[in-house]
Amino acid sequence: MTRNALVERIEAETGIESRPRYSNQIEASVPRERIISFLSFLKTIGFEHLSNITAIDWIQDSTMEVVYNVWSYSERIHITVKSPVPRGNPVSFTCMGLWPQGRVYEQELHEMFGISFQGNPTQGPLFLHNWKDIPPLRKDFDTEEYSRRAYGYLEEEQ
Amino acid sequence: MLSSIPYTELRELARKDDCIQYELFFGPNFPGMHGNFGYILDVAGSTILRVRPNPGLLHRGFEKLMEQKLWFQNLSLIPRICVVDPDPNEVAYCGAIEKILGAEIPERAKFIRTITLEMSRMTSLLMGMGALGGMMGLYTVMYRMMDDREGLLSLFEWLTGARIYHIYNLPGGVRRDIPDGWTEKLEDVLKQLESNIVEWDRLMFENPVVQKRLSGIGPLTQEQAVNWGIGGPSLRATGFKADTRKDDPYAAYPYLDFEVPAVGGGDALARAVQVREEYILAISLIRQALKKLPEGPFKLDTGNPLKFIVPKGDAYNRVESSKGEYAYHVVSNGDLKPYRVSVRGPSLPGGLALCHEHLPGMLIDDVAIWMASLAICPPDFDR
Amino acid sequence: MRKNFFSPYATWKNFFKKPTTTRYPKEDITFFDKPGASPTYRGMHTNDHELCIGCGTCEDICPTSAITSPGKKGVVPVIDYGRCCFCGFCVDVCTSRSLSMSRDYIYTIESPPELQADDEVDMKYNSFLIKPDSTHEENPGHQTPDEDSWLDLIRTPMEEIPAEERIKSFREFVKGFTREQAFKEASRCVECGVCEETCPAKMEIPKYIRAVWEDDLEKAVDIMYNTNPLPGICGRICTHKCETVCSISLRGEPVAIRWLKRYAVDMLEDDKYRELMKKEIPENGGTAAIVGSGPSGLSAAYYLRLAGYKVTIFEALPQAGGMMRVGVPKYRLPHEAIDRDIDYILSLGIEIKLNTRVGKDITLEKLHDQYDAVYISTGLHLGRKLGFEAEKLPFVAQAIDLLRKVTLGEAVEVPEKVIVIGGGNVAMDISRTMARLQLEKYGKVGVTTLSLESEEELPCDLEEFIESREEGVTVMPSYGPKDILMEGDKVTGAEFIRCLSVFDSQGRFSPKFDEQEKITLQADMVIESIGQASDVSFIPEDLLEKLEKTERRTIKVDENQQTSLPWLFAGGDLTSGPDAITGIADGHRAAKGIDEFLRSRK
Repeated sequence: MTRNALVERIEAETGIESRPRYSNQIEASVPRERIISFLSFLKTIGFEHLSNITAIDWIQDSTMEVVYNVWSYSERIHITVKSPVPRGNPVSFTCMGLWPQGRVYEQELHEMFGISFQGNPTQGPLFLHNWKDIPPLRKDFDTEEYSRRAYGYLEEEQ
Repeated sequence: MLSSIPYTELRELARKDDCIQYELFFGPNFPGMHGNFGYILDVAGSTILRVRPNPGLLHRGFEKLMEQKLWFQNLSLIPRICVVDPDPNEVAYCGAIEKILGAEIPERAKFIRTITLEMSRMTSLLMGMGALGGMMGLYTVMYRMMDDREGLLSLFEWLTGARIYHIYNLPGGVRRDIPDGWTEKLEDVLKQLESNIVEWDRLMFENPVVQKRLSGIGPLTQEQAVNWGIGGPSLRATGFKADTRKDDPYAAYPYLDFEVPAVGGGDALARAVQVREEYILAISLIRQALKKLPEGPFKLDTGNPLKFIVPKGDAYNRVESSKGEYAYHVVSNGDLKPYRVSVRGPSLPGGLALCHEHLPGMLIDDVAIWMASLAICPPDFDR
Repeated sequence: MRKNFFSPYATWKNFFKKPTTTRYPKEDITFFDKPGASPTYRGMHTNDHELCIGCGTCEDICPTSAITSPGKKGVVPVIDYGRCCFCGFCVDVCTSRSLSMSRDYIYTIESPPELQADDEVDMKYNSFLIKPDSTHEENPGHQTPDEDSWLDLIRTPMEEIPAEERIKSFREFVKGFTREQAFKEASRCVECGVCEETCPAKMEIPKYIRAVWEDDLEKAVDIMYNTNPLPGICGRICTHKCETVCSISLRGEPVAIRWLKRYAVDMLEDDKYRELMKKEIPENGGTAAIVGSGPSGLSAAYYLRLAGYKVTIFEALPQAGGMMRVGVPKYRLPHEAIDRDIDYILSLGIEIKLNTRVGKDITLEKLHDQYDAVYISTGLHLGRKLGFEAEKLPFVAQAIDLLRKVTLGEAVEVPEKVIVIGGGNVAMDISRTMARLQLEKYGKVGVTTLSLESEEELPCDLEEFIESREEGVTVMPSYGPKDILMEGDKVTGAEFIRCLSVFDSQGRFSPKFDEQEKITLQADMVIESIGQASDVSFIPEDLLEKLEKTERRTIKVDENQQTSLPWLFAGGDLTSGPDAITGIADGHRAAKGIDEFLRSRK
C-alpha cells in the first residue's frame, strides 16, 4: 500500500488525521484515551515492529507527549504516534499486551519522567539507584543544582 | 510471571534433582559479562528459575547532557554511547539533523560514510564473534580476531585521528577528506582479512564441538523476533529478510548492489553463522563503494558552529548497526541546543525484556553464550 | 561453509608470520610509513604563542569545558587534561592557526622526591592543567588548514550600484543588507571581543551583532547608543578599525561590522526608534556650551544632556554636522542619514544655534561667563598649501573648500580637465565628486589624481581607490608636484617629478625625488588635498598663550579632554583623529570629564 493509501485508511477507520512527512514517514497525534486501540489497529494493518517509546516534556504548555515509533516491515513505512498527557496528572495506558518490550520502555519513562502506565506491574526503578528527587529528565530538574546539593563539589575546587 | 514456563513447574524440575535454591549475581563483576551489567538470578542447582535485570551501572545521563550542549558539541558525546560500534550513532544523529534541515549531503560524503560504517561493522562483528568464542572457552578465536581488528583500527586512526571514538561525521558530511594512500592500504587489509576467514571456519564454524554447544540456545521464531523488537543479524538469523540498508536506505546504499543474507534456524548457531555471512557481505560492500567513490566536496557549508540553529521540528532516523537497529529521535525547538534527544539502543529488547522469556529454564553455563549471540551490549540501553 | 583439501594446512601460513604483541608505542610499528601514531592523530596540544591572540573561541566550543582562557582577553589558553576528550574541535575552530595537536599522547606526572616514599600522599597538584606551548611541535598530528576550518570565512558581499550607473548621480550607491544577508553575516561572528578593545569608543560590538542575529533590532540600537550616539553615520563612513583586527580576518574576510550597524539602524521602525530615544533626564541645573556641531560636539552634547545639563551648540555653517556634512560627499553619506541621527540627538532637548561663528558673533570669553563649561571641537577645516605662486589664482583650490561648497549647494566651477594633488580619502572624495559633475556637464570625465605615495602605500581606503578607478578617474601614484603653471590669471597645468620614497628609514616624512623624470599635465584647475589644519583664530591671544600645546603644536588635553584651563575642554579632530569615531569617543570622555569637574566644584 502506498503511503497516501495508508493515511486514508487510517483516517477512514479510526478518524485520526495523520500527515505524511519526510520520504517514508507518517505522523499522527492521538488523544490519550484512544491510544491503545489506535496502536492495536496499526498492528493489524502491518505495523509490526515497535521501535521506541519515548516522551518529551513541554513544560511551557504543561503537557508531556508520549511518542511511539512503529515501523512496518511489509509496507516499509514508519509512523510516529504522539499522545499528549497533562503534566499535572501524567497517566497513560500500557501497550504491554501488544508488544512485550513495551513494559521495559514504560518502566523507563516512569522513572525518568514520572508518567505512570495503567496496567503495567513493573513501575519501579530501572536505571537509577536510591533516587529520591524528582524524575530527572523533566525540564525543571537542574543538574548543576543537584550536584551541588548532593556532592558539594564546588566547595572543594580551588 | 512473565516466562512461558510457569514458575511452579520450574520449581518441580529443580526439586526433582534435589537442589538447593540460591540467588546468584551474574555480573557486573564477571568475565562472562559484557560491560557493567548484571542479572540477579534465582537458581536451583544449575537451572535458572527467575531473572531480574540490574541495569544502570553504565548510566551516564546522555539524554539530559545532550540538552545542555550545542548541536556541534554533542558530537563528542555521541560515539561514547556504544564502545564497540560508534559510527552508526554518529550517522544516526547527523542524519536526523539533516532530515529536519531538509539538506542532502554531497555524494562523496555519502560514500565515505558508507565505507566507515561498513568498516565499523566489521570491527564490531569481529569483536562479537570473538566474544562468542571466548564465552565458550575458545579464547584463541578471541585473540586472533582482536589482532585482525588492529588493521581496521589503524586505518581509522589514519583517516579520523583516533582509533575508537572517531568523531568523524558532522551534520552535513564528514570532517576530513580521505588522505592519499588510504584506499590502497584498505585494500591490503581487506585481502588479509578475507584470507583469514578460512581459519575461522576451521576453528569455529565447522568445529563440531562449537556446533553442538551453540545449537538450541535461545530459540526464536520469526514472529517472536518481530514482536519482541529484535533487529539486525539476530532477526535475519530466523529467516526474516529485513535490513534497514535495503528498506529505509541512507548514505550510499541505494547505489550499491547486494543481497541480504538470511540464515534460517533462529538459535545461537544460526546467529553465529549469520554473523559470518554479514562479515563477508561487508567486505564486498566496501569494495563496491571504493570502486564507485566519486570526486567532489565532502561536506556542506553549515556556517559558524557556535551559531548553528536547527529549525523547529522532529525527526526519527534509523541506522543498521552490527547489533541491530539504532535510532535517534531528535526534537528541536528552533534553538541553539536540542530540546530532546532519545536514543534507541538495539540491546534493550534483548537484554531487558527477552531475558524473562528465554532465561528461566536455561542452565547458568549458557547465559553468557546467549548474551553474546544476541549481541547484547549494555552501554546502549544504559546510555 | 566451504571445505577444501587444503584447509587443514591453512594455518601453516602463520608459521612465518611475526607474532602480534602489544609493543611500546614508539617502537617499530610502521603502518603509516613512520613509527608511532598516525600522521593525523589527536594527541597533546601545541600552541604557537606568537600567533595566538587569545580570542577564546576554543573555550567556547569545547564540549567538556576543559579550556579556560584566564581573563579571556589576550591570554593563551590553559587546558585541563582531566576533562579533555581529545575531540579536536578547538583546533578546527581556531581563528589564528596557532592551536594544533601532535602525535604525542604519553604524559607522566612525577611526584617530587620528598613525597615518593610516602604511601598515602595527597597530591593536590594542578598537574592536569597544562598551558600548551611549542613542546610537542616536532611531532605534528591533527591540523586544520583553511579549507577544513569550521569558521565561516567568506563574507556576504554587499550589493552596490555598478560604476556606469552610480556616476550619473550623487545617490548613495551601497544598497544595504537584506534580512537573510544580515543574519548570515551576523552568524559569522565568534564573539571574541578583539574588536571591542580596538574601537576608540569601545562599542559593545559582539553584543549588538548578537542582537542583530536574534532579530532584536531595538536591543541592538540600544546597545549602540551606550557608546555612540551617531550609529547611522558610523554605519556608513566609519574607518572600521574593528574590521581590520577582526579575528576572522586572520584566515578569511572580516565580519562586516559596519554594514551590520547600518542594517540595524536603517531597519528599525521609526516609532520604536523614537520610543528608545525617550529618556528620563534628571535636570541638575548645570549648563555647557559646545563649539562646533561635528561628530565630537554632537556626542558630547548627547552625553551631557543625558547627565542632566542644559546644552547649547554653536555652529558657524548654516547646517549642522561639521565635517560629516561638508567633508563627505553625498554618495557616501546621504544627508537624510545625517539629519535623522542629528534629529534624534536634538530631540532630547538640546539647543543649537546655526550661523553663529564663535569669535565673530560671540566671543569665547562671553561663553565662559554664560556657561559653566565649554567644549571646543571645531575640527580641521583649513587646507594646507604647497606654497606655489599660482595658489593666489581662483582656479587653484583647496579640496575641503570645494567639498563644502558642493555640499551647501553653492555654485562651483567645473572645468573639463582637473588635476588633484594628494592620495588620501579627501583627494579621492573630491576626484569622484568632480567626475560626477563633469559627466553631468560635459558627458565625460577628465580628472587625474597624483599622489606622492606609491600604490601600496596609498593612505586612502582600498575601496575608494578601486571605486574611483572604476568611475574613470586616472590615478597616478608616486608623483610629487614641482610647480603649477599659469598664464596670466589662468591655470594651464602642472609639473610633476617622480617620487622615489616618501618616508626615510626612521619613518619620518622626507620625500626623495628624481628630478630627471618629469611630466607636465594640462589642466584648467588644480585642486590641492595634501592635509588639513585647524582654525583656532576664535581663541583670543591671551587664552591661546595660556593653553599648553603638544609637540605637534596642537592643544594638549588629558584623558578627560580637559585643557590647562579647567573650564575649557577640547576634542575631536582638533586634538586627535582625524576620524569620526575618535571624535565621538572624545566627546563622550569630555562629557564625563565636564560632569566630574562640575560636580567636584560644588
